[in-house]
Amino acid sequence: MDTLVNVAHGFGVALAPVNLLYCFVGVFIGTLVGVLPGIGPISAMSLLLPVTLSGTPESGIIMMAGIYYGSMYGGSTTSILVNIPGEAASVVTCIDGHQMAKQGRAGPALGIAAFGSFIAGTFALVALMLVAPKLASVAVVFGPAEYFSLMALGLVVLTFLTQGSMAKALLMACIGVVLGLIGLDSITAQPRLTFGRLELMDGIGLVPVVMGLFGVAEVLLNTEQVIRRDIINAKITRLFPNKEDWKASAGPVGRGTILGFFLGILPGGGAVVASFASYALEKRLSGTPERFGHGAIEGVAGPESANNAAAGGAFIPLMTLGIPPNVVMALLLGAFVVHGLQPGPLMIAQNPGLFWGIVASMYIGNLMLLVLNLPMIGMWVQLLKLPYNILFPLIILFTIIGVYCSSNNVFDVYVMIAFGVIGYFMRKLGYEPAPLVLAFVLGPMLENNLRKSLILSQGDLGIFFTRPISAVCLALALVLLIGPLLPSLRRKRELVALDEGA
Amino acid sequence: MSADSNVKVRLNNSELWGGLIGLGLGIFVVQSGLKLKLGTIHEPGPGFVLFYAGILICAFAATIMIAALTEGGPTFGSRWKDARWAKPVIVIACLTAFAFALDSLGFLLAAIPLTLLLMRLIDPVRWSLAVPISILVPAGMWWLLKQALGIQLPSGTIGIG
Repeated sequence: MDTLVNVAHGFGVALAPVNLLYCFVGVFIGTLVGVLPGIGPISAMSLLLPVTLSGTPESGIIMMAGIYYGSMYGGSTTSILVNIPGEAASVVTCIDGHQMAKQGRAGPALGIAAFGSFIAGTFALVALMLVAPKLASVAVVFGPAEYFSLMALGLVVLTFLTQGSMAKALLMACIGVVLGLIGLDSITAQPRLTFGRLELMDGIGLVPVVMGLFGVAEVLLNTEQVIRRDIINAKITRLFPNKEDWKASAGPVGRGTILGFFLGILPGGGAVVASFASYALEKRLSGTPERFGHGAIEGVAGPESANNAAAGGAFIPLMTLGIPPNVVMALLLGAFVVHGLQPGPLMIAQNPGLFWGIVASMYIGNLMLLVLNLPMIGMWVQLLKLPYNILFPLIILFTIIGVYCSSNNVFDVYVMIAFGVIGYFMRKLGYEPAPLVLAFVLGPMLENNLRKSLILSQGDLGIFFTRPISAVCLALALVLLIGPLLPSLRRKRELVALDEGA
Repeated sequence: MSADSNVKVRLNNSELWGGLIGLGLGIFVVQSGLKLKLGTIHEPGPGFVLFYAGILICAFAATIMIAALTEGGPTFGSRWKDARWAKPVIVIACLTAFAFALDSLGFLLAAIPLTLLLMRLIDPVRWSLAVPISILVPAGMWWLLKQALGIQLPSGTIGIG
């Protein structure tokens, strides 16, 4: 009964005209960046982070969330029609989606992607509503040791799932922690690694780091090659999948939804892992696995449902524990912080309007996305024809403006350019930026909780191993760290490892 | 393969250089942590986490270097094989010039040539399209931010914008 009252309250907040407008702008921009290759939800959210300052916290966060789940919808359009993933979570949709389009079945592919996304998105929201308040009430008893261990586990999971060498991913995570510690020490107020520059006293901003590592670096990588697009030009008809399509897709949508939701909750997991895992699962369960890669609708329905369910699930650790499970949620945490809010176990009780308003807006946003992605598909197809040589200078210009607006400081523009160049070389040398960014956000919290735990326990490291939740998290982290040394686990890791790019 | 060419291959190993940079960074972080004071385990100081993070950076960088020396790794040349490497260099040069010009020229006077250069130097957009876009988009963004959102972009010493 309480939940229903809260949902009604949430709809009251979400249906306020200004919040509806922000929700629409968010899902529209999300679809746009999902459709456009070369700019992903991370870049778009960092670009728009300063804009959220002008409205209420509800409006800003509703818009940011809309960009995230909107990009999951939009990404499939580019994958199916152009065979280029609009964003990382749609990589796997290219495989069968584009084949379906080539066989003249672009409509059903787009249709099942949108309906699957809608079903999964709605399920994830219901689960979020039911799980988040319960988890928040449990999380109240978490102490610094539990928080430290959970964050350490999150970082280890992300490094485990990052493509390429695990040593490189761990190196990136450690560098991220160090970068996050730049500025005044939170306990002694002593400046650290500031090199006497006043601009560094408050630390490096998240926006210039993310925009540099993901936005500028992505553009630099894209300019290296001529981007050729194999756009399906035939008119798209019959977006509604037929009876056989539904029959084949029902199982993958259901399994993808549940798998995606749980992978979304896991620290370090997210939409990209979910889509790959769902594809692998469907191929394994299929009686005719040889159809995969040649236009099997299950290869579109499963991953597209999984990535949307994961997008919803990822809100749980952020809202209930205040721990972002991935880079996108780290940006959303940034949006909360700029409004003076701290997500965590007390947020749902202290700010019910905010939490339930965001949840309700996601229902509305999912409906808006269905309309944006089905009847208006033609508009997105036209947009896909925009040449990259016109698009990329504009992306650079928008990133510069976005970074400057986030702090009104030219120094941040320099930081962004520097991180853009660093990010480019990192990617060329096989170092993924995602662990660095997550560690950058978690670094100060990680340090704070570690120092608090040691002070509270009077220097007894046993505090991390005697408290059950902390001990389980550290044990899991240890398994994942040692795991890749075993050949069988290493092979498994290589199968699920992913590129968490923009 | 002669001993000389063996050394050559090793020196051109991108993994080795990546590890070396990491090691250098790790040593610097360890030193910074020591300078800031580690404190004790009962009361960790401001350099405590930095010091241990530095140690971990050194350890992971050393692992990468050992793997590079024992298993080999891709050369710099192979990393940029078939890539138009000059294009990102041009973009980086344009961005660096823009960064230097931003404070003195202001946003508008620095952004218009930046956009035009990026449109013409990478995969050339025809002049009739590149010029209007390069003027209208920065000017439009500047106007929108100033008029609609009240955000003042840098106007430089000349005060345009």
